[in-house]
Amino acid sequence: MASAGSGDEKAAAAAMITLISSDNEKFEVTEATATLSQTIRHMIEDGCTDGGVPLPNVTSKILARVIEYCKKHATAAAGEEGSSSSFSDAAFLEVDRAFLEELEEFDDAFLEVDRATLFDLILAANYLDIKGLLNLTCQKVADSVKGKTPEQIREMYNIVNDLTPEEEAEIRRETQWAFE
Amino acid sequence: METCSRSGIMNLCSLIRTRDLCCFIFRVLSKLSGIAPGLLKKFRQHVHAHPSQKEPVLRTLSELPQDTLMDVFATLEIPDLVRAGSVCSSWRAAYTTLRDLGKYKLSQTPCLLYTSESAGESVACLYSLVEKRTYKLTLPAPPIRSRYLIGSSHGWLVTVDDRSEMHLVNPITGEQIALPSVTTIKNVRPIFNKFGVVQKYEYTKRSWRGDYLGKENLPPHKLREYLHYKAFVFPETSKGTYIVVLIHNPYEHLSFARVGDDRWTWLSPHHYDDCNYKDGLLYAIAKIGEVHAFDLSGPVVTMKTIIGMWQNIMCENMYLVLAPWGDLLNVLRTGVEEGHDADPATLVRNIGELQIYKVDSITKTRVEFKWLNDHVLFLGHNQSLCLSTKEYPSLKANHAYFTDNNALWTMGFKSNRRNIGVFDLEKNVRDELVSPQLWSNWPTPVWITPSLATMNMK
Repeated sequence: MASAGSGDEKAAAAAMITLISSDNEKFEVTEATATLSQTIRHMIEDGCTDGGVPLPNVTSKILARVIEYCKKHATAAAGEEGSSSSFSDAAFLEVDRAFLEELEEFDDAFLEVDRATLFDLILAANYLDIKGLLNLTCQKVADSVKGKTPEQIREMYNIVNDLTPEEEAEIRRETQWAFE
Repeated sequence: METCSRSGIMNLCSLIRTRDLCCFIFRVLSKLSGIAPGLLKKFRQHVHAHPSQKEPVLRTLSELPQDTLMDVFATLEIPDLVRAGSVCSSWRAAYTTLRDLGKYKLSQTPCLLYTSESAGESVACLYSLVEKRTYKLTLPAPPIRSRYLIGSSHGWLVTVDDRSEMHLVNPITGEQIALPSVTTIKNVRPIFNKFGVVQKYEYTKRSWRGDYLGKENLPPHKLREYLHYKAFVFPETSKGTYIVVLIHNPYEHLSFARVGDDRWTWLSPHHYDDCNYKDGLLYAIAKIGEVHAFDLSGPVVTMKTIIGMWQNIMCENMYLVLAPWGDLLNVLRTGVEEGHDADPATLVRNIGELQIYKVDSITKTRVEFKWLNDHVLFLGHNQSLCLSTKEYPSLKANHAYFTDNNALWTMGFKSNRRNIGVFDLEKNVRDELVSPQLWSNWPTPVWITPSLATMNMK
């Protein structure tokens, strides 16, 4: 893993970062886990994480889930680096494949959440700039609207239709075909 | 942590914390890309106003930041995107931004475009391979069922009307653009009546060597049965325009025009069968396997031969395909006729075999591929495509999706059953795309990759 400029990898791996949720709960995580968030990575690089990183946009419930994701993927990233650096034989490829499958299973299970949580996870992934988590959660939302009518989508996500009658008419005029 | 070296920073940090930690964090955050400015603003207002108050709980997806919504929408096929774009004003804004910037999912899964008597004369039906359903789009006049379909690329159809004039049509947006008049093609001249109206076309036939082979005077609606073979539309990004390439008769010559030009430019006579375009070069393959690359970017068109003719090769169609991994592929298609000669109405031209070769431009050789693993081909009267099933999971790996391409069948046998389906490259067997068939036999259905692109021509 990247170690924020430190030459001593063991020291870097052991370095812990404290994340503080909006409801003041503290989470101790390794730097490798925390730096999956580009936002936190930059804060570490700027040397501004001592005393904890306050995350006033993220509740403890959501932060716990985000950390769960980051821990798993940080391990995966470390595993990938280790195996691809000097080995490429079949046994290692097999290990890689098994690892990827396990990661996919983890992601699938991770996304088994209610819609409010999914929504909060997207906001957290966006705010913390965790690309993998953002892609994963966005894809989940995208999959959920596939083949649905606007009415079904509104109902599913409690969205109020605030389009003006003029806008509605324009949509129907331009793209009626998609609604039949 | 190296306490000594960091002590200065730590002091600075505690100083900042006591003074205004939030401002410092925002300074750091604002350097980063990928954070929604709106979200950052919300965050800033929130902590400055009420440092101890929790972020208000947002519970509806309509309140997602626009950039995140766009990330969601950018993974959708166009019908889903259009529907999502009409859920509420915030989703509409994300949709229109994606559409106008051309940043929606560009790798749309191809659909089969067909017409049917029951849908109406001006309606194009789009069969989605993802949803396995049909969308019906009303196209501008003249009625699509009265036109010939001679090409499809990048979301645009190339059609020929009953005066033998050509148009580009985007069935998704309904945009239509007239191409330069057919009378500006090298071997076509208008014959006017006394009122100055085109009464006939004089169609001159020359061999690919340029030998004069005679002339015919054809009524306006007849010319298209003789002249047009296959057409392509390629975006020319360096010039911000589109190039339209036409393979036309006699003997499959090549002419091109840029959208907005007032005439066609004759390029080369050579029995061409297929074209493709990459990095400013137009590639054209002849029926005898010769591949030419034309550089159309300068004031003078230059041509070089990528690979020479193929001795003793017999096939019905030659395709030139750009593989996603960078290779230029040459695909050969053979056909078999089925039915009873005594009753022409029963004749069907079926796909026989497909052979795939990689063209090596350095060694000037062709290397055969047995199959395509996790890739698929789209072959027919469309721009030939090779796509990865990783990117297009609805498609069947190692299969070719095909429509008619034999000139006799794209221009004639209008009432006969079409040859449309999915061909298994491993087992060499064809399968129906959908049964019973949804389409009228005429005009010949064609693959199209839906696009929201507009040409915005004045």
